[in-house]
Amino acid sequence: MRVIVGGIGYPDLCDYSIGIEVQERLSEREAPPNVVVEDLSYNPIAIIQRLGDEPPDDRFGRIVVVSAVKRGDRPPGTADCYRWDRVMPVDEEVQRAVTDAVTGIIAMDNTLVIANYFGALPEEVVVVEVEPETHEFGASLSPGVSSAFEKICDLVWSCATDDKFVAGLPSGSLALTVVPVMRFG
Amino acid sequence: MCFKNLPVEFDSAGKPFLRDGVGDPYATATATAPEGPRQLTSDKIEELLKRNGHIKALDFDPVTRVAGALAFHTVADFEQRKILEARSVATLFRGYEVIMVGRDPRDAIFITSRACGVCGGVHSTCSALATEMAIGCCPPPQGILVRNLALALEFLYDHPLHLHLLAGPDYSQVIVEPTNPSLYARAKTTEARFTAIHGYRTIADLMVDLNPLTGKLYLEALHMTRVAREAYVMICGKYPHPQTIVPGGMSSTINLTVMNEMFVRLSQFFDYSKKLALIWDDLTEFFYEANPEYKKVGARRANMIDTGIFDHPDAYDATYESADDWGNKRWATPGAIVEGKLVTTDLKKINMGLEEFVEHSYYEDWTGEGQKPHFPTDPSGNPLSPYHPWNKVTRPRPQGQNWKEKYTWDTTPRWDRQGMEAGCYARLWNTAVAKRMPESPFMESTGHSLKMRVPAGALPETELEWHVPDVWNAFERNRGRAYCMAFTALIAFEQWRSIMERIKDGDTTTSTKFHIPKRGTQQGVGFWGAGRGYLTHHLTLDRGAVANYQIVTPSTWNASPTDRWGQPGPYEEAVMNTPLLEETTDPTKFRGLDVLRAIRSFDPCMPCTTHIQSEGGLITREVNTCACGLDE
Repeated sequence: MRVIVGGIGYPDLCDYSIGIEVQERLSEREAPPNVVVEDLSYNPIAIIQRLGDEPPDDRFGRIVVVSAVKRGDRPPGTADCYRWDRVMPVDEEVQRAVTDAVTGIIAMDNTLVIANYFGALPEEVVVVEVEPETHEFGASLSPGVSSAFEKICDLVWSCATDDKFVAGLPSGSLALTVVPVMRFG
Repeated sequence: MCFKNLPVEFDSAGKPFLRDGVGDPYATATATAPEGPRQLTSDKIEELLKRNGHIKALDFDPVTRVAGALAFHTVADFEQRKILEARSVATLFRGYEVIMVGRDPRDAIFITSRACGVCGGVHSTCSALATEMAIGCCPPPQGILVRNLALALEFLYDHPLHLHLLAGPDYSQVIVEPTNPSLYARAKTTEARFTAIHGYRTIADLMVDLNPLTGKLYLEALHMTRVAREAYVMICGKYPHPQTIVPGGMSSTINLTVMNEMFVRLSQFFDYSKKLALIWDDLTEFFYEANPEYKKVGARRANMIDTGIFDHPDAYDATYESADDWGNKRWATPGAIVEGKLVTTDLKKINMGLEEFVEHSYYEDWTGEGQKPHFPTDPSGNPLSPYHPWNKVTRPRPQGQNWKEKYTWDTTPRWDRQGMEAGCYARLWNTAVAKRMPESPFMESTGHSLKMRVPAGALPETELEWHVPDVWNAFERNRGRAYCMAFTALIAFEQWRSIMERIKDGDTTTSTKFHIPKRGTQQGVGFWGAGRGYLTHHLTLDRGAVANYQIVTPSTWNASPTDRWGQPGPYEEAVMNTPLLEETTDPTKFRGLDVLRAIRSFDPCMPCTTHIQSEGGLITREVNTCACGLDE
């Protein structure tokens, strides 16, 4: 099975760059021939198109995405790993996600929601979320994330190369953002 | 006379000077208020809200289907079906101007590109132009042409995105049918006029394909963004943040292979732009005929400003001194339009009339009591206001929101102290009226229209003609943007043809050497344009580093708040003139569709790190994206 590993994030945004940092580190490892490591930190619509460019008879069977996700209920540097349950938001939210995507927002939940809506995702979707601490302009990771960095890389690598490990992962939901409001006063 | 409100006059040789006998010529407190619409006072609004049950505050927070973070506050009279108060709120501090201070100017090309997640290239280019002017460096002809082509491609990404992903759904079946059932019933029996080009038999057929996520026009727009992006990265390396834009040209490699690949993609926009123009012609005329009140949706004075774009390689020399000359030879003519009349096409006058105010913005005034501006004149000796970007100092001061005081992070740019609007349609308008565009077998400026002969693709060669409209409103903005697709595609084609001719002559040089002076003070300004219109970067260098950097974007103009004289900003003015035309009589079922149509017709492009507030007042979402609507 072909596997694509993608880091999603922003450069120079401290802990929110973790997806890119992990992807860059893993790119230095010698990957098995069925594993591709890429920076997927760009417009989710373009990512759909990129995945769709694979030959129809040899598409990716698994995507592993790694990104910073603020849940707030776990220590910085915590890496949670799960197989995405593909529970989708309502269509209005998908539409909002497309708007965000084409106007420049790069986010893991947007990428997965849009790619899933348009049928572009591989059969297996594995998410590695890293709890961030610092959200500001800068090249360095916070101490919590930095100290966990090598373990996070190994975790993502296992998700890409160890089928048994992936089979044992729990199912999980994305931390989706909220629907905007119109208020009468 | 160019200026009605600023104290600037012109001598017999056309040289501007400050009017004699005025003690503090740019004083705002004692200045005569410019003519124009006014907001009701906050006290009056409060009184109306207390006295009348049918008058309600209606807030859109955030406004969806726009780029970035925009909130909008209105007070609506549901009996009279009109808007009494409108307040445009940019909810975020941007910060690029602060980041830039002290840096090497070459960093600005890459850092300011991040001001937008759609049109990073225009910021990179504008930054390169400002640097070129400051350091005295001009690109070779091929560099100018390739730069033009790159940015035209960026607009070919941008316009369909807005028309069919952001604004288009407001005219789709899933929106129109529930809000205006009788209008949709009429659409089902109204034959489209341009079926032969776009393929839709009735207006309702067209509306179905505008449906978000599933409509063919929505999906086609997503596809066309790919075509434009692929062409763009051939010469820019990356989208949206290009890697090849430099002071003095482009670092791209240009050869016949690249250009042939480019043409494969560019030519797809010929047929697509024919379709887009005539789809929006059909939609606009349908709404006007169904109910002439739609002409009031988003209506405001035709006050527009644009710096022009796409330089001619024989004219552009990167100097401020010659800016009027090379500006007037651009493919899209610069201009200021007041009450529908073009009052100047000179870049220096456009620059001279520019001021930024902060009365209702989260900043401190920087001018000070009796303090002299850093640059009382521009490099040609023409007077500049203390409120001009070259004199501006960024002093953010976050505080609580108060309609009487401060309520937005956007500043209030004004030209000749009037609320001006920016948009790609402004460049269409200026070019159509000024009759200054370079000769072309594909485009002709008639003085009242712009004729565009779009080459054959699968569809036959088609002549499109955009006319200066009688009314200015949401529909005309969208129609203008649709025609801008053809305009942009043809300008791109003209650049492509010129580049090919030069390649055949052996010219593949796209950049020239430059160096950053390490002594003295230099000034530069990038006059360019974004997909949404007007864009300037004002730069001051001191001993080789950035001493001041100020960005004014299209949405800085359009989203600006009410000014110190009570003149609403463009979004505000357009919404205040918008009738509420939804058929429901139940306010709880009201969707605010026409208000949203008015706002979205400007193609708002707001900021990065959006903070959206829920009813509980908590920040529920943070994202990172486009920041081109905000000041700092």
